Amino acid sequence: MSTQISTLPDRHFAEQLVEAAIKAGAAHADALSISETGDSVSVRNGVVESVEREDARGMGLRAFVETSCGMAFATASTSDLSTAGLHKLAEQVIAMARISEPDPDAVPPVGANHPTEAELDAWQQRHNHDDSGWSLEQATAAALECEQIALAYSDQISNSEGADASFGSNRVLYASSDGFSAAYNRCSASLSASVIAGSGDGMQRDYAWHRALHASKLRSPATIATEAARRAVQRLNPGSMDSGETTVIFEPRTATSLLGHLISAINGRAILQQRSFLTDALQHGIFPDTVCIDDDPDHPLGLGNRLFDGEGTRCRRNRLIDNGVLQHFLSDRYTAKRLGQPETGSASRGLTGDIGIGSSNLIWHGGSLSQEQILKQIGNGLLVTELIGFGVNGVTGDYSRGAGGFLIENGEIVRPVQGITIAGNLKQMFARISHVGSDLTWFGSTAIPSIAIEGLTVAGQ
Amino acid sequence: MLPANADDGDLYLEYSSSESLALEEGRVKHVSASTHQGIGARVIKGEASGHAYTDSLEADALMQAARSARSIAGHGGASSPVHIHAASTAPRLYQAVNPAANIDFSERKAMLEKLDKLARDLDPRVRQVFANISSSFSDIHIVRMDGAHIHDARPLVRLNISVVVEENGKRETGSAGGGGRFSIERLLSGDEPAHMVHEAVRLATLNLSAHQAPAGSMPVVLGPGWPGILLHEAIGHGLEGDFNRKGSSVFADKMGKQVAARGITVVDDGTIAERRGSLTVDDEGTQSNRTVLIEDGILTGYLLDRQNARLMGMQPTGNGRRESYAHPVLPRMTNTFMLAGNDSPDDILASLDRGIYAVNFGGGQVDITSGKFVFTTSEAYYVENGVIQYPVKGATLIGSGHEVLQKVSMIGNDLALDPGVGTCGKGGQSVPVGVGLPTIRIDQLIVGGTEA
Repeated sequence: MSTQISTLPDRHFAEQLVEAAIKAGAAHADALSISETGDSVSVRNGVVESVEREDARGMGLRAFVETSCGMAFATASTSDLSTAGLHKLAEQVIAMARISEPDPDAVPPVGANHPTEAELDAWQQRHNHDDSGWSLEQATAAALECEQIALAYSDQISNSEGADASFGSNRVLYASSDGFSAAYNRCSASLSASVIAGSGDGMQRDYAWHRALHASKLRSPATIATEAARRAVQRLNPGSMDSGETTVIFEPRTATSLLGHLISAINGRAILQQRSFLTDALQHGIFPDTVCIDDDPDHPLGLGNRLFDGEGTRCRRNRLIDNGVLQHFLSDRYTAKRLGQPETGSASRGLTGDIGIGSSNLIWHGGSLSQEQILKQIGNGLLVTELIGFGVNGVTGDYSRGAGGFLIENGEIVRPVQGITIAGNLKQMFARISHVGSDLTWFGSTAIPSIAIEGLTVAGQ
Repeated sequence: MLPANADDGDLYLEYSSSESLALEEGRVKHVSASTHQGIGARVIKGEASGHAYTDSLEADALMQAARSARSIAGHGGASSPVHIHAASTAPRLYQAVNPAANIDFSERKAMLEKLDKLARDLDPRVRQVFANISSSFSDIHIVRMDGAHIHDARPLVRLNISVVVEENGKRETGSAGGGGRFSIERLLSGDEPAHMVHEAVRLATLNLSAHQAPAGSMPVVLGPGWPGILLHEAIGHGLEGDFNRKGSSVFADKMGKQVAARGITVVDDGTIAERRGSLTVDDEGTQSNRTVLIEDGILTGYLLDRQNARLMGMQPTGNGRRESYAHPVLPRMTNTFMLAGNDSPDDILASLDRGIYAVNFGGGQVDITSGKFVFTTSEAYYVENGVIQYPVKGATLIGSGHEVLQKVSMIGNDLALDPGVGTCGKGGQSVPVGVGLPTIRIDQLIVGGTEA
């Protein structure tokens, strides 16, 4: 059941789509096609519970038309990749572009900073991903081993939510009417486990997962199993804690959400729309000067590697935060033009909907202290290992989320805590970061260490 | 194609199309459409299931999908051919017509421009207006292992308004929306679109004057309608069949036991005509139902798809749902709400000595194993001696699903359903849902503000 990328369409297919749009009346157009195959297997209590296979493909087209008041555009997508489907899509998108409002700042695919053929070839050499390294049998064996080790970890493990292994690959084609076209493949494999400790009203569940570019680079089933089971057991018999101000240490797994909030707030479109608490923060110190954060499109461990973005713009490494100072808003070509900023190559594009803005690999550079040393320095506080809910206001930065973790007293983990909230404002939270750990950990396309923040409010009993 | 030793299986064919027009900065500049077609094949044996799907309708891809799905059942011989026949159909709860069929883009565009102008005219502090009309139409054919063929055609529309207001350099946002399983013409007719604009502007300007929310344990009064998200998070997910069969839900051993205060009855009802969460049949072809989950405080029902129902020795409840042919079936909610009680909403608010009156919410989430759930206010007030004092900033409320309904001490006579805005996520799949609630008083919940 290996994937069959070689039989999938090549970049000429995307070129044909652009040609069809031009024939149908577009002044400019660009097209994206994605083909994806994948397998996943779930095991529970030692037997296979489900197998799934996906075979997905689609194409998306963006077309610009000239009007008397400037350029207007629309986007459309379909999973019907036949010649008839292609022409229908081209006609549909032109009809829609004609009713769309012209925008004097619209940026059609002309004069874009595309990578050269030589760069495309070099990238292909270095990122030659056409096999995720697993067969269904190997993935099943890994999932079974992972679950078995997790269940055997302790007598307190009472139930299994199962272990999942999945692998797959996709092929992305892009072409634009200014003559650029390219294709690349991506593969990944992932393994996860979720187990339950305790019983009745005292049950606690936790999980661990890892995803990598190739099955051989995954953390071992034992590592993942042990993490999931250890976390579930450590959560047993939680209490609440007193309401009040405290220092919160986000372990890497929960710290990723802070990075997510930052990226939403420096999204160029959010800035244009005044929907960000960092609208006026460019070149300002928003973090302590020890904080450095990169958007790196070419990292050996990153699952977000890319040579060009969703508009065919060459990607580059963006130092987003340099010694605490905000250096860039992430932009596609349109927002870069409107903001009068350099392009960051951050156009993100799926098959449906409009072009968005997104990061590649995000790396929050580690500090010098281990998490243990940070706890010692802080003395009293809360180590947050779980966050739930969506209580973040991107316009104001107001922050209030459900949390769970461990009470820290005199630098030691004392007991598990659950059913509390932590609240503050992201602008202040960013400024009040007191420690950045040395425990840099990768989660797909994000790498982050433990982060400690002073002055959050806990609500508990 | 199906192995003879399978317990169940089906083919799910879907053709769906969607359209979206969005206005920002005074211009309708995001116009998009998408079309998806494909087939999902499922084979179920005992606790195991195989699922494969393809976007390609070519014979090779279909056979590959069928082989993948049936691999779960082992090496049973092939089943004998079945006669494909139309199953008796449930009465349709919505019209089988593409909601965008009878309205062209220019009418939708004109409406968005009108709403943008209305928002800016309502209040000079309005700086940004986002308005979006989206519609989708899914044509679905389900062919079960026994040859039964079930058809459903599902329209879905939604209008969303969101504004940013600014005063003295301080910005806030407010939003409102609504929709259901009907046509775009109906969505845009009447006063409802203008009402949504008023709501979005009112919420945004209200939040400009919001104080910090309190932090700690206190009584909370929830207003009617969308605050029913409490039920969705606190108990709905915990009563989904898969979690209970596997014993991973905190409600797994509570059937027949008291899990809520007396007087509380909660139902999941997929049969309400034209509502966002309603389904004529679920994604396994089971006619949708009104399932009583809690009756007078006692746990009486789970939400079941065919596989979990069979394994638990129960009847499917019409809650087997999938986001599309590309996703497996899971037991999911439809429209989940609490029936009305006898208390007047005014009396309930007046009973609050010191606490929070929460009228509107953003999203929520639950850990079904520990029962801990959260939901976050988007319109809430601090109340003292039964009188509203001031609006408070968005705060997350946290509680335990198996405890919170035991702490409900008053139930209003004003049951309302939400305006048609709910989307539920589970296992990476999103499906439209509804919720509803009368005004209720919860004696104790943790309010996650910043004023400790």
